[in-house]
Amino acid sequence: MNIYLREMKSSRKSLFIWCIAMIAFVAAAMGKYAASSYVSGQSLNDIISQMPEAVKSMFGADRFDLSKAIGFYGAMFIYVVLMAAIHASLIGANIISKEEDDKTAEFLMSKPVSRTKMITSKLLAAITNIAVFNIITMLSSIYFVGYYSKGENVTDNVIRLMVGVLFLQLIFMSLGLCFSAFLKNPKLASPCTVGIMLATYILSLAIDINSHLSGLKYFTPFKYFDAKNLIYGKGFEIIYIVLSILIISVFICVTYVFYKKRDLEI
Amino acid sequence: MNVFLHELKSYRKSTIVWAISIALMTIFFLSLYPSFSSNASLVKKILEGYPEPVRKAFGISIDDITNFLGFYSYVFSYVVLCGAIQAMNYGISAISKEIKLKTADFLMTKPVRRDEILTSKLFASLISLIITDIIYLVTAFITAESVAKESFNIKLFFMISVTLFFVEVIFMSIGVLISAVVGKIKSTISLSLGVVFTFYIIGMLQATLNDKTMKYITPFKYFDAGYIIKNSSYDMTFVIIFLFIVIVSILLSYVFFFKRDIYAV
Repeated sequence: MNIYLREMKSSRKSLFIWCIAMIAFVAAAMGKYAASSYVSGQSLNDIISQMPEAVKSMFGADRFDLSKAIGFYGAMFIYVVLMAAIHASLIGANIISKEEDDKTAEFLMSKPVSRTKMITSKLLAAITNIAVFNIITMLSSIYFVGYYSKGENVTDNVIRLMVGVLFLQLIFMSLGLCFSAFLKNPKLASPCTVGIMLATYILSLAIDINSHLSGLKYFTPFKYFDAKNLIYGKGFEIIYIVLSILIISVFICVTYVFYKKRDLEI
Repeated sequence: MNVFLHELKSYRKSTIVWAISIALMTIFFLSLYPSFSSNASLVKKILEGYPEPVRKAFGISIDDITNFLGFYSYVFSYVVLCGAIQAMNYGISAISKEIKLKTADFLMTKPVRRDEILTSKLFASLISLIITDIIYLVTAFITAESVAKESFNIKLFFMISVTLFFVEVIFMSIGVLISAVVGKIKSTISLSLGVVFTFYIIGMLQATLNDKTMKYITPFKYFDAGYIIKNSSYDMTFVIIFLFIVIVSILLSYVFFFKRDIYAV
């Protein structure tokens, strides 16, 4: 419990800044929607709908109905996802490895807590951080999108999107945890996690450009919870949910197994 | 000179990793061009059917997206993103890593003045960035030559590619300023990702929404590839802003670093 509280306290400030940034982002993006909706939204949609997939994705405006608030939010949503992924990877990679990096590992390990217990507390703290991030973003999105949507009900859509983000956050968080337990040099944990996160993001862009690559979509979590499917009909696909849960549990198991045997770098 | 060489050596591994990953990414993206260009001629037809004002509102001109340089500038925006992260990392770690690793008092007791230390560190980061850029430039050019079916303007290609270095210099100097002002930086990469992505997302918003004033906020838009292709020159206003930001932040870093309290262990 002490470790959990201590961890929450130390991440308080950065979590606060992240949440403010997310609220500001959603507010700014939706504020822009209000400004741009005067420009004949309908004719833009006509043009976009006729473009081939590759070109649409270059504008980041594939298949969303930009004249509706939720469609506009969907087009902006990839940035929300990207920020959530960065936040989650950093939290996951830092929360364990920072003890060795800051040379506090000795102090912590000499306390009467088992390593398993320590990881559990840290894992819970990381999950709490991610959940707060997710909930704040969800509430501000519901508020701002709802404000501009002229009475349409958007809450369901936003909640569905944010549940997808939660899975993505958990994947990258557990990847970070796994690296910090697995890699010999604790300093490498966050660069490696962030590197893999960016590589999968870029892979997801490449899949958009070139449809021949769509077989690779299982390798990038950014494709698991597609905003288009979540807003317009299809909803969650079982295979991706199973895949994410599998990935998360494997990473977390690896964390526990490897950290127990870890030779700490002091 | 010693500080410079030591610093260069400590960046060696990271420079190699960055250069290789940026080069691989470029090869991967550019090799998608042939399939993209066959698609793109379709768009051209559709777009031509629309009246001029509608196209303007959308912020595209037909030639921009369908020829090779247009595609290249799209790919290039991701290269710049990676370069900016690398540059910011070097900038921030310049001063902060000595403090974090508790080597600052060792360094400060050596008979080198503080401004010499900072100068050597800046040059070392610059050299590492230049090496990365050269590797990128060569790979990008060779790949471009082999994938582009039609001939493209080589001068414009290089004018666009060189802006990678300019953007990196901006981020590096902002990074140095941050590390000179902020007391103790716990994690370099979290800070640099935060700053770079904030500017990057502002840039993406700017592109989607076509807002003129937002251009001034984010360095990612100072050297707009679209503008370079159209006018075959850089936008002078932004060149001046660029120089201003770099000079001011580097000068301020010297001022702050001179006066700063260095904690001994």
